[in-house]
Amino acid sequence: MHEPVADHVLRVHGLTVDYDGVAAVRKVDLTVGRGEVVALLGPSGSGKSTLLHAVAGFRSPSSGEIWLHGHLVAAPGHNVPPERRDVGVVFQNYALWPHLSVLDTVAYPARRRGTGRTHARAEALLILQLLDIARLADRRPAELSGGEQQRVGLARALARRAALSVFDEPPAHLDTHVRGLFLEELRARQHDSGTAALYATHDAEEALGLADRVALLDAGRIIQLGSAEQVYAQPVDLWAATLTGPASVLTTRVVRTDADHCTLDVAGIEVRVGCRSPGLSDPAVRRLLVRPGWARLGGDLPGRLRAVWYRGPHTDHLVDTPVGDVLIRAPGAVPTRVGERLSWSLHRTWALAAPATHGQTGTQLRPVASTGWSEPPRR
Amino acid sequence: MVLVVLPVARLVEIVVREGAGTSKLILSSPEVRTAAVNSVGLSVAVMLLAVPLGTAMAVGLRHSDVPGRAFWRVAVLLPVVVPEFVLGYSWTQAYGRAGFTDALVGVHWQGVLGPGGVLAVLVASTAPVAYLLAAVGLAARAEPDLERAARASGASGTTVLRTVTLPLLRPSLAAASVLVFVLSLQSFAVPQVMGAPAGFTTLTTKIYADLSFASDPLSFVEAVALALVLVLLTAAVVAPADATLSPRLRVTRVAEPAGAPFSRRPSASRWVAAGLGSYLVVAVGLPLLALLSAALTRAVGLPPRPSNWTLDNFCLVIDQRSIEALGRSVGLAVLAASVLVVIGGCVALLEHRRFGRGVATMSILTLALPGSTLAVALLITYGRWLAGSLVLILVAYLAKLWALAHRPITGALDRLVPEELYAARASGATRLTAARTVALRPMAPALLGAWLVCFLTALHEVTMSSLLYGPGSETLAVIVLNSQELGRIGPTAALSVLLTLLMAVPALPLWVLSRRLRLRRPADTVPDPTRRENAQHARARG
Repeated sequence: MHEPVADHVLRVHGLTVDYDGVAAVRKVDLTVGRGEVVALLGPSGSGKSTLLHAVAGFRSPSSGEIWLHGHLVAAPGHNVPPERRDVGVVFQNYALWPHLSVLDTVAYPARRRGTGRTHARAEALLILQLLDIARLADRRPAELSGGEQQRVGLARALARRAALSVFDEPPAHLDTHVRGLFLEELRARQHDSGTAALYATHDAEEALGLADRVALLDAGRIIQLGSAEQVYAQPVDLWAATLTGPASVLTTRVVRTDADHCTLDVAGIEVRVGCRSPGLSDPAVRRLLVRPGWARLGGDLPGRLRAVWYRGPHTDHLVDTPVGDVLIRAPGAVPTRVGERLSWSLHRTWALAAPATHGQTGTQLRPVASTGWSEPPRR
Repeated sequence: MVLVVLPVARLVEIVVREGAGTSKLILSSPEVRTAAVNSVGLSVAVMLLAVPLGTAMAVGLRHSDVPGRAFWRVAVLLPVVVPEFVLGYSWTQAYGRAGFTDALVGVHWQGVLGPGGVLAVLVASTAPVAYLLAAVGLAARAEPDLERAARASGASGTTVLRTVTLPLLRPSLAAASVLVFVLSLQSFAVPQVMGAPAGFTTLTTKIYADLSFASDPLSFVEAVALALVLVLLTAAVVAPADATLSPRLRVTRVAEPAGAPFSRRPSASRWVAAGLGSYLVVAVGLPLLALLSAALTRAVGLPPRPSNWTLDNFCLVIDQRSIEALGRSVGLAVLAASVLVVIGGCVALLEHRRFGRGVATMSILTLALPGSTLAVALLITYGRWLAGSLVLILVAYLAKLWALAHRPITGALDRLVPEELYAARASGATRLTAARTVALRPMAPALLGAWLVCFLTALHEVTMSSLLYGPGSETLAVIVLNSQELGRIGPTAALSVLLTLLMAVPALPLWVLSRRLRLRRPADTVPDPTRRENAQHARARG
């Protein structure tokens, strides 16, 4: 089957995948365009891996369709096996074969294409050189460090020469340098095959820094899909806001709105801030999102310093204000001590939708993510 | 030490005392040579057939989409639960002349009494062993990601099997081959039941014949010499294999597979189920049906019709003697299994502390020590005081089955994540409390399993019992064997049915219990990354 127009590498339509009788992915629609990197961001158990496994062909959908390069590869009762899909996979724990050397591991995809052993190995060596691990060619996985295993996993996915590369949430951060090399190589191949990537992670920083577009997943559903800037600055609700980064929530009244500004009432003081949220005309009490960079220390709003976290390049200040706690990020620490009064100012905000009905994955979300990110980085 | 080393030393002593000349005479006799060649040839053939069969079953049943998978996984183990000589006897009833298939469709297999039949039954009874080892080897990797990676690299299903699954299974398959070879070499009852009537002798049946029928003192020396030959043959295979394999096999963390590596065509799964079904019908189903029919039929040769059915055979065999034997069998088996689990646990604990490594190796060697050899050795060492008594049989069981209890318990200890115990200690538990609250729970299935395996094996046991029993100390299995040698088809079949049903009595509640234990796992679908990392650390350290 062919789609009339196939200008994207992957198109997922109404996909539902059951896992032991429970829908792990529910009615997901998603496209990945040529050369595009799309991140799937969600907490553990949100269905990221299941979605990737369905795209790669390890799991068949109970309803919906998956199209790769204009070919229908999965629908109920129709499942193209993984080896005949144009998809390379980087596995969660790299899935390196203990009985094969690094060179033979990376030569494996070429061997399956029917390339002779010598040629396949030569090709593999080129990829190893590209990722700067040619010296590991004769080693077995057990003799590699975690970072080296990661590179071998990437090298094997590159050797597949697939139109779509799929990354199943790496347990540790991808080495930034290696990730750069890998994406560079993917993009270099764009002109001939239109290579794209789908990347699952629970780490907001990684998702936002890596992807052209980010899909927020919760309980198997896509809650929001947009550019990294969009999902960070204009989250659909509080849950999405907390998932994508530190979020403070002000409970206050909007006095009036004009063009892309609105005037708020903060403890009797009227403040005019940048705010492009739709539907702000209703002057009721509402909940307004403030990202750490949207407020500054110093100004005419009253507050009290509640806590300080020194984070190297910047310092996070948690300020107790009449309208709620606000996390303010500043280049250096203020000379104020914890518990003392200080003043602050607000420049930008985003009106949040009513409390979310989703978010059933059990993650306890707090209006102020005092640790900095919704999930602490893992070591 | 007292159980094993001393008796075997006595064996050597006797042979040495009799002088090299006698030994040479015995070992060069054509009968002995034939028996030895038969034994080795048979074992090699069984190994070559049973290991691929067991592996195919394990690989086929790995996919969760096989219809009735839970049932098949238990069903393929059925031949183990049926005593092997009962299985052999039921094959003769099913496929032999005037047997079940002969009576129904007029087809019988001439060779069922003879090497062919012995081979077939041994393959059927050892294939589950190969299946278990292969299945454990497959399950040692919880995540099927390695196969998925191969599929995602462009390999088809069969290529994945060839390039990833089977190469990774190599240590397990090598271990299975060694085990199947040793089991076949030691097997006594099947060659005795199916081979001896056709003049096919092996080392084990020769030992039995030498001890039971000949009064010639030379034949006793011959039995002793043959027992030693059997040990040497076993040692020649086991020693190098154990040295190279055991470090690789020891450190595996068995886990329930997280799911099928990939979905596949439904037809393939149906083929797996159909293939297994027909295999089990031929290997176990029909023979047991024939056995039941022989037990229920009034006289030999009558067609199996309801009008010819009777319970007379059962009434005939349920006499004072067999009821006493039944009591003895069950008592011995319960006693042996309970003592063995305790001993096995102690040895495993010692080994864990790096004290008793030697003890552990010795216990493995006892498993490899052929039953016939052990029985002869115990007889000449302790026979003076204990000949024909139940105590001697119990001693033989303890010595022989020790390793059976030891292996699963050690395995379970190895699989404990050390951090979990450390965490309990760090939370204020004493060494004993930590073991009870954190370690006992995950080990309970292994302890239960060890008890069950010992119990069943002891109940089956006929190799040693048939050499060691005296008046008033026959076990039920020995009575079945004797009744069979007297050619009493109906009563033998009835006794065999009873013996087989006896296995189900403790097996059923224990199986239910172990299922309940297993169901207590947390039901999260997403593997917890920290847990996996712990396992990896444990593996790396081991």
